[in-house]
Amino acid sequence: MKRVIEFTLNGNAVSAEVESHKMLLEVLRDTFELTGTKEGCSQGECGACTVLIDGVSINSCLYPVFEVEGKSVTTIEGLVGEGGKLHPIQEAFVENGGIQCGFCSPGMILSAKALLDENATPSEDEIKKGISGNLCRCTGYVQIIDSIKDAATQLSSEGPK
Amino acid sequence: MKKFDYYQPRSLQEAYGLMEKQKGEARFIAGGTDIIWRVKQGLIEAGALISLRGIEELAQIRLNGDLALGSMVPFRTIERNFSLAKAYPSLSEAVSLLANPQVRNVATVGGNLCNAAPSADCAPPLIVLDAMLTLEGLGGKRDVPIGDFFKGPGKTCMEKTEVLTQIRVPKMAANSGTSFLKKGRVSQDIAMVNAAAFLVMEGNVCRKCRLAVGAVAPIPLRLTDVEGMLEHQEISAELLDRVAEKVEQAVSPITDVRSTAEYRRVLSGVLVKKAIREAHQRAVQQ
Repeated sequence: MKRVIEFTLNGNAVSAEVESHKMLLEVLRDTFELTGTKEGCSQGECGACTVLIDGVSINSCLYPVFEVEGKSVTTIEGLVGEGGKLHPIQEAFVENGGIQCGFCSPGMILSAKALLDENATPSEDEIKKGISGNLCRCTGYVQIIDSIKDAATQLSSEGPK
Repeated sequence: MKKFDYYQPRSLQEAYGLMEKQKGEARFIAGGTDIIWRVKQGLIEAGALISLRGIEELAQIRLNGDLALGSMVPFRTIERNFSLAKAYPSLSEAVSLLANPQVRNVATVGGNLCNAAPSADCAPPLIVLDAMLTLEGLGGKRDVPIGDFFKGPGKTCMEKTEVLTQIRVPKMAANSGTSFLKKGRVSQDIAMVNAAAFLVMEGNVCRKCRLAVGAVAPIPLRLTDVEGMLEHQEISAELLDRVAEKVEQAVSPITDVRSTAEYRRVLSGVLVKKAIREAHQRAVQQ
């Protein structure tokens, strides 16, 4: 069955006609051509497909697209500001070597954002738990954890957004 | 992926009506983190999925001494509920160790139970806490003790047209403690073995004991014979060693990608011992 769904995507009101069996991941990549969100495992374990819905991280590969009606979706593209200015979390990942091949990065950065939005001063254990749903084959996670620690410092010095 | 229709009823009555119209070609879906994956693999055939997400009455929590937990409350909510963590630590711990944050943000206790994996993390705590499950459908309502719910790997006593609406947990007695332990290869892994304990203590004597293990039998397993070893006994290191031996005999683990049967057998004994010690400590701290 098909339906036109309306929701907010990276701050913009959008609508699209979608099929009932589609997951949010496919619709983001194919209909909206936002290819920052990646397909990794298709089973909710690798986190490459992580996006934020109403600020909460979810695996878009397992999220029936009809459920996004009326909600606010943030993809990695939504973190970039005016004139291509990177979000402080993205900056921190760049500065601290948290990105190698980049495939896990969109999901990893969005999980970091969800974590820091809820807990601005996470301990190392809390950071590890916060990214426990995002797999990285390149970095060994050390630089990713450093990036998130740095991002937390940067964000708290900027004051509340 | 196979195509399916997707319905979003706003009430239970609407949901039952949709299920009836579909004449057995539909499945109820909660968070979807188990079902969608199995549909993708072709393990489930469903012409339609009927989502329970929009049914508000299923997402209520009432904690008032005892617990009435709506089946559609996401793990995310349970993890962050400090009163629930204080009242029923084993349930809260099981939820916070399940899968990963993204899954926990949409997945539910109801879904975890209905999926009926032998390794279901929510099962051992709810078994030792004597949970009662409410099943509803067009035919009416029935209460099923959790001990009668699981029938085999992936199988429950539910009709396909029924919905698990509520999980009720009685108030914990004074001087009682409960615990949950899980061992996986890595943090978001399905359990190799998980275990829960519930003890009511009188001084150093155990007055009531409930023990359950998962991932080592066709269903999450209550260890009734082992419980009998502890009741009316003082908890000693020697008794716990004998308990561990009995647990090893009581389980029937398999070898699979996550672990071997031999390791699981030994691990069952170890985790149950640890769970008892932790529940004991919590009981006396009360």
